[in-house]
Amino acid sequence: MKNMFKSILAALAVTLVTLSTMAAETVKVGVLHSLSGTMAISETSLKDILLFTFDEINKSGGVLGKMIEPVVVDPASNWPLFAEKARQLLDKDKVSVVFGCWTSVSRKSVLPVFEQLNGLLFYPVQYEGEELSKNIFYTAESVNQQAVPAVDYMLGEGKKKFYLLGSDYVYPRTTNKILKQYLKSKGIPDEDIEEIYTPFGHTDYQTIVAAIKKFAAGGKATVISTLNGDTNVPFFKEFANAGLTSENCPVVSFSISEDEFRGLPAKELAGHLGCWTYFMSLKTAENAKFVGDFNTWLKEPKVTGVDYKVSGIDTKGRVTCSPMNLSRMGVYLWKQAVEKAGSFDVDKVRVALIGQKFKGPAGEVTMQDNHHLINNVFIGETLPTGQFKIVKALGPVAGEPFSSKFLTAGK
Amino acid sequence: MLLNFIVSIRICLFIFLAFVASPHLGAATPEEARKILADSAVEEDATKQIAFILKLAGVNDPVVQQGVTAWRQGGLFLYETNSLKQPFFLDTAAQTDGKARAIKVVDGKPIQGGDGKDLIVNVADFTPVDTNSKLRKALKTVLDLFALSDPNPKIRRDAVTKLGQEQNPEYLPYFEARVVLESDPESVRALTEAIAITKVATTTGADQIAAINELKRMTSITSLALLQEMEKAERKNPKLTPDAKKALGSAIFAIEEHIRRGNLVGTAFRGVSSAAVLLIAALGLAITFGLMGVINMAHGEVMTVGAYTAFMTQNLFAKWFGSSGTGFDMYFIAALLLSFFTGGIMGLVMERLVIRFLYKRPLESLLATWGVSLVLQQLFRQVFGSANVQVNSPSWMSGSFIVSDVLFAYNRLFVIGFGIATVIGTYLLLTKTSLGLQIRAVMQNRTMASCIGVRTDRINMLTFGFGSGLAGMAGACLSQIGNVGPGLGQLHIVDCFMVVVLGGVGNLVGTVMAAFGVGVTDQILQPWLGAVMGKICVLVGIILFLQWRPAGLFASRGRSLED
Repeated sequence: MKNMFKSILAALAVTLVTLSTMAAETVKVGVLHSLSGTMAISETSLKDILLFTFDEINKSGGVLGKMIEPVVVDPASNWPLFAEKARQLLDKDKVSVVFGCWTSVSRKSVLPVFEQLNGLLFYPVQYEGEELSKNIFYTAESVNQQAVPAVDYMLGEGKKKFYLLGSDYVYPRTTNKILKQYLKSKGIPDEDIEEIYTPFGHTDYQTIVAAIKKFAAGGKATVISTLNGDTNVPFFKEFANAGLTSENCPVVSFSISEDEFRGLPAKELAGHLGCWTYFMSLKTAENAKFVGDFNTWLKEPKVTGVDYKVSGIDTKGRVTCSPMNLSRMGVYLWKQAVEKAGSFDVDKVRVALIGQKFKGPAGEVTMQDNHHLINNVFIGETLPTGQFKIVKALGPVAGEPFSSKFLTAGK
Repeated sequence: MLLNFIVSIRICLFIFLAFVASPHLGAATPEEARKILADSAVEEDATKQIAFILKLAGVNDPVVQQGVTAWRQGGLFLYETNSLKQPFFLDTAAQTDGKARAIKVVDGKPIQGGDGKDLIVNVADFTPVDTNSKLRKALKTVLDLFALSDPNPKIRRDAVTKLGQEQNPEYLPYFEARVVLESDPESVRALTEAIAITKVATTTGADQIAAINELKRMTSITSLALLQEMEKAERKNPKLTPDAKKALGSAIFAIEEHIRRGNLVGTAFRGVSSAAVLLIAALGLAITFGLMGVINMAHGEVMTVGAYTAFMTQNLFAKWFGSSGTGFDMYFIAALLLSFFTGGIMGLVMERLVIRFLYKRPLESLLATWGVSLVLQQLFRQVFGSANVQVNSPSWMSGSFIVSDVLFAYNRLFVIGFGIATVIGTYLLLTKTSLGLQIRAVMQNRTMASCIGVRTDRINMLTFGFGSGLAGMAGACLSQIGNVGPGLGQLHIVDCFMVVVLGGVGNLVGTVMAAFGVGVTDQILQPWLGAVMGKICVLVGIILFLQWRPAGLFASRGRSLED
C-alpha cells in the first residue's frame, strides 16, 4: 500500500516535471500598444514590427533556447487603461518584459506599475526626456538626439530666426522649452524665437501661416514643427498656398516619419526636413535585409514556434520608420542581455543590459547606464515618394534624458 | 522729351555698367572655373578652400554648377589613381541603385576605366568630400549667385532676397548687372530692394539716404528688421547724419504703418474665409435642425460621405486623365455635384429608415442619429481604412496672389465664393420656388399645410434630403482645406450646432450672421491669444451670449419652438 502510494507520488512528480519543462520552452513577452482609438494608426505598426522581430528570433533558436510567446493587449488609446493592461501583463500573464507605449502620457501612466511590480519596459518613440526609471529602457530618441541636432543643422545653414510650432501637449511644450534655452545659449535673441501651439485636430492655419510669412520675410527663418499627425495636412497645405517653400523657409518636423507620411499629401511636404536615428532609405546591408525580410513576412505573417495567430495586418504600402526600428532594437538588446545574464530575472537582465551593443540597420547602438542609447543621427529631406533623402549623417550621439546636463555641457 | 532723354541715358548707363561689370563677373572662363573647383575639392586647408569657392561666383557653366550643387549635398567624391586625386560627381540622369557614371569636375566628361569604357561607380564605395558649416555656407552663397540667373523667376526672387539680407557690397555688381536683364517685374522689385538694403548698410551720405528713401517708397517689409536694428545701434553709438537719421525714422514708421494696414485687411479676409467654412458646414444643419427641428447627430457623417465622394472622384479622374492637367483639375467641379447627390441620397435613406418615425420625439432622434453616426464611422473605417486619405487640390485652387503684401489664397477665395453661392441658392429655393413655399408652409404649421393639401410627408423627406445634400457638398469643400478621414464629421459637428444655435434656430439669416461673427472674432483673437485661448474665449463668449438671449441672435417662430 505504501509502495503504491510512493509510485503514484513519483508518477505525479514526473508529470509535473514534464509539464513544467513543456511550459518552460516558451517565454512570455508583453506587447502594450493601442490597436484601436486615435493612436492605433501609429501604434499598430509597432505591434506588427514586434511580432516580426519575435518571429525572426524564434526562427534562429529563440532566447536562451526558449521561443518568444507574444501576449498582445489593446489599451485602446486610453491612458488609465494602459496602467490596467500593464498590471495585467505583469501580474496575471507574468511576462518577462514588455515592449510598448507611444505617447508620453501613456508612459507616465504605466511607470508606477512597472516600478511597483518590478517589470521591464522598452519605450521606442522620440520623447521629451526629463525622466529616468530603473524599470524602463528608452531606445527612443531623446531631445539631444533629435531636436538639438536638427537645430544645430539649421544654425549651420545660416538660419537665425526660429518659429517653434507644436501641438498642445507635453512633448512639444517640453521640447520647445529646452530648445528655447538651447537657442539662447547659441546667441539667438528672444525676439527671433516664436513659440506657438495649436490644439489637436486644428484645421485653420491661416493666421499662423500669415505670421510665419512675415516672420520669414528676410529668408533667414525656419520652422521647427512638433505638430502631431493629421494637423500637418492643413498646415502644409496652407503653407504651400502662401508661397512658402523649403527654399525660403524650411520646416523641420519631429513627428513625421515614413509611417506618418502615408496619410499626408507628399507633394506639399517635399523638400522639408526630418531628423531621426533611422531612415528607410539608409543604404546598409542590415537595412536592406530588414526591409526585405519585413516585406516578405507581411505576405505570410506568423510567429514561428509558438501557438499565436497573427491577425489584422495591413499589407498595403508598408514602410519602416525610426520608432519601428527602435522597437526592434529593443527586442534584440533584451535578448542579448538575457543571454549574458543567463536568466530572465528582471534584476539580472537590467544589469546585463548596460553596455549591450547591437549592429542594426542604422549602425551600431549601445545601451548606456542612463538607460538611453548611443545612436547614429541623420538629417533627411522628404521626397515626393514619401521617403527621405539623407542630407547629413551626424554620427553617434549619446542620448541624455536630462536637459540640464546637455545644456550646460554645450556651453 | 527731356524726361525721355534722361531715361534713355539711364538705360545706356545701365547697359554700359553691365558691360563694365561683366568682365569682372566672369573673371574665370568655364575651363578655369572647373580647374578652380577641382583644386578646391582636393585642397586640405579649409580657409583656402573657401577662398577658392568664392571665386566661382557668377560663373555660368553647367559643369561647375552641378559640381557645386553636388558638393553641397555631399555628392562630390574623389577618384584616386596613382596618388592623383580626381574629383567627380555622379551622372544624375542615369542612376540605378546608387550606381552611375562618374563625371569629372575638370572637363565634365565621364571617367573612363582601363578598357576605355565609361566607368560605372558604386556610391557606397566612396566617401564624399568633407564639408563643414562654413564651407557649406560659401557653397550656398555661390549657388545663390548661380540662382540669380535661374530660369525659374521664383527661385531667382528667393535667391535675391536671401543675398540682399547679407548686405555684402561684393554682391552689388551681380544685382546691378541682373536688374538690367531681368524681365519678371517681381524679380525686378526684389533686386531693387536687395540693392537698396545693401546700400543702406554699406554707403554713407546721400547714397545712404537715397537707399533708405527707396525702401520707404517700396514699403519693404523685408528690410524692416534691418532698419530697426540700425536704429537701435544708432541710439547706442550715433554715427548717422541728422538727415539720414530722419529718413530712417520716417522709413520705419511708413513700413510699420503699411504692415498694420496689411494686417487689418489680412485679418478681415481670414475672418471671412473662416466664416465661410463654418457657414458651408452649418447651412445643411440650419435646414435639418433649424427648420425641421431634427437633432441630427449624423450630420457630420453626411459631410464625411461628401468628402469621400471627392476622394473617389479624384481617383476616377486620375485614372481617366492622369494625375495632373486640365482634365484632372476639373474633378473638383464634378465632385461638388456628385457629393450633393451622395449626401442627399444618404439623407433620404436616413429619413425613410429612421428619422420619419421620430419627428415627434426629439430626444430619441438624438440617440438614434448618434447611433447611426457611430455605425457610419465604423463603416468608413472598414471601407477606406482608419488612416486619412489624400485629396489633392486641383492646380487652380493651389497657390495665392499677393496685393500689397496681403496674401489671398485661391482655395480660401473659392470657399468664400462657394459659401455665398450656396446661401443665395438656398434662399432662392426657399422663397422663389413652389417647393420652397411648401417647405415653409410645413415648417410653420404642419397640420394646416396638410389640411390645404400639401403632402407633408414627402416635403419632410425632400427637405431633409436637401439639407443633407448641402452637408455632402460641404464635405467635398472641406476636403480641400483639411483632412479626409473617418473622424472628419466629429471635428465639425460641434461647430455646426454652435453656429445654428447661436444664430437662432429656424433662421437662415441668423446662421449666416453667427458664422460671420464667430469666424471673424476667432481670427481677431488668435494673433493675440493663440489658437487654443482664442477658441476658448469664443466658446465662453457664446455661452454668455446665450445666457442673455437663449433664442440666439434672431429668434424666430418655427415648428420647433411651438412644440
